[in-house]
Amino acid sequence: MSAPATRFDALSEWSDRHFKWLLVAPAVLLILALSVYPLLFSVWVLFVNYDFTVPGHGFVGLRNFTRVLADPVARWSLWVTILLSTINVTIEFLLGLALALAMVKSFRGRGLIMSLLIIPLFISPVIVGQAWALLLQRPFGPTNYVLSQILGFEVTIGWLTQAPWNFIALVLADVWQWTPFMFVILLAGLTAIPPNLYEAAELDGVDGWRAFWWITLPQLGPMIMLAITFRILDAVRLFDTIFVMTGGGPGTNTYSSSFYLYTLGFTQFHLSEATAGAWMFLVITAILITFLVRRLLKAEPT
Amino acid sequence: MAHVTIKGLHKHFGAVHVVKGIDLAIADGEFTVLVGPSGCGKSTLLRTVAGLEQASEGTIEIGGKVVNDTRPRDRDVAMVFQDYALYPHMTVAQNIGFGLRARNFPRPEIETRVKRAAKMLNIDQLLDRLPRQLSGGQRQRVAIGRAIVRNPQIFLFDEPLSNLDAQLRDEMRSEIKRLHQELGATMIYVTHDQIEAMTLADRIVLMNAGQIEQSGTPLELYEKPRTRFVAGFLGSPKINFIKARLENAGIVFADGQTLKLPAVDAQRYAAHAGKPVIFGIRPQHIDRAPMTGSPHIKSTVDLVQPTGARTYVTFTIGGEPVMAELDAHDAGKPGDEIAIALDLAHFLLIAPENGNVLGR
Repeated sequence: MSAPATRFDALSEWSDRHFKWLLVAPAVLLILALSVYPLLFSVWVLFVNYDFTVPGHGFVGLRNFTRVLADPVARWSLWVTILLSTINVTIEFLLGLALALAMVKSFRGRGLIMSLLIIPLFISPVIVGQAWALLLQRPFGPTNYVLSQILGFEVTIGWLTQAPWNFIALVLADVWQWTPFMFVILLAGLTAIPPNLYEAAELDGVDGWRAFWWITLPQLGPMIMLAITFRILDAVRLFDTIFVMTGGGPGTNTYSSSFYLYTLGFTQFHLSEATAGAWMFLVITAILITFLVRRLLKAEPT
Repeated sequence: MAHVTIKGLHKHFGAVHVVKGIDLAIADGEFTVLVGPSGCGKSTLLRTVAGLEQASEGTIEIGGKVVNDTRPRDRDVAMVFQDYALYPHMTVAQNIGFGLRARNFPRPEIETRVKRAAKMLNIDQLLDRLPRQLSGGQRQRVAIGRAIVRNPQIFLFDEPLSNLDAQLRDEMRSEIKRLHQELGATMIYVTHDQIEAMTLADRIVLMNAGQIEQSGTPLELYEKPRTRFVAGFLGSPKINFIKARLENAGIVFADGQTLKLPAVDAQRYAAHAGKPVIFGIRPQHIDRAPMTGSPHIKSTVDLVQPTGARTYVTFTIGGEPVMAELDAHDAGKPGDEIAIALDLAHFLLIAPENGNVLGR
């Protein structure tokens, strides 16, 4: 009489305790299969020969690392990454801040201008690259033509093929796409500053530029940190626009780290070297991220 | 220190007419309280004096000089805001000294002045803290410190106590009063709280719908209100208004009970005989025990609210609720038949059609 009931209780208790595992199992399996397994696999790949051009998976020690470290293109691509991220994020920050300051007060047509300003955020980076490539293309793109008309002499810049113009082209595309991101975050930060701080400052004898310096900037601090952190994290993996606009060229001139690793692994098929490079890049990025996030968490909202 | 003169001041926000013609002269060293219900324009008036709002019409003089076109920073006024408006990223000392720093005072002088102000307000042990580490009362002290350190001609307070809890509010109220006595500065103080207005003011300016309803000393406004609005706004619990008729026999309430007026009063109001009036009397001027010479009204106790020393008793006269503040031992209980004595040295008769107090 009581036995089946007890067994049923035991069953229900067991399922109560373990059912949750069943529920998360698909997600866990997915992560195991697509992230954890490849990651562990890549650790093995680091130390063996895993190269489509050289048969066999023999143990090679640290050769994969030393080869990447010895590759001048690898070092160059790291510089390109650092240079482009710094320039991009700096310009985007300054422009975004200027825009946010201009848009913080309400005026007629503000909503419309705001919508126009954030459109670039909705466009895929590949399309942005493609559009800019078409605009800058020589000889059929309109840029050189328009410049010639304005300047009064024939402009024949190879925007996508000629250093340093190719970098300027990449910066242009990136700034065009990501300034709105800075703008939106900084605008949100500006709107959150209580207006009576400015009133108090005004009575204290501070307005205009000094109010910006003493009130706005310190108040905006955490938001600036947030915006810059997000943008840097995104900027260091720059790939799409380079792939579309310059193809890394001329030669390896505009190789970013991501682009270099991509070429190394997927067009030259030196997979174990690419893996070693990717791991080293990951460590550099991780250090940067740790630093930035720590700063971000320290910059408490006031 | 300076006097303030406001002449024919109007303020529009777009189509909204907020301040509708204010004339006001505030003497040097006077503590003036602008009081009124929300939306009466008192804050706007204060902000116009500060220069945070532009006057649409009229002039503002500080110390005999028209300041309409003077920037707020050059008006030499200091303001304490309702939500403190402390600079969150600066310490208490930096907050208090900010105005001096902005005006390029030498560092040692800033330091001494900040210390003195902090000492005055009992916050000298908090100088290194950030505003977010302070309680509401401490924050308000810092805000006041920021005002006094600059030694301005005029102090402006915009509902400085309304974000504090009741106990702290009482404490800060006395603090501000003491500060005024010590500094002797001209202060303009905005509040919607009539108790703050009564306790702090040398002069109350009671505003309603963008205009001054009445201005005068707290006692003047309390004892000799010119309108029903003024009578109803000041005093706690609120004054009772009872619909009645003025006849030769005296005041006749809706239930037919008659209150015979003393001969002087009957004569004073003779011109209004035969007309409907509103009889106003404060809860403090109603008593239960028969007072000699005071006529009686009969009623039934409806509600009893003890507060300790005094008890608020509600009953009806002529169908309208009336509250009396009685001695706790006289209060009785709901349902009791009582005889009520109205102190006829303190009553108002109000014309129902315009709310003006009669006989003034």
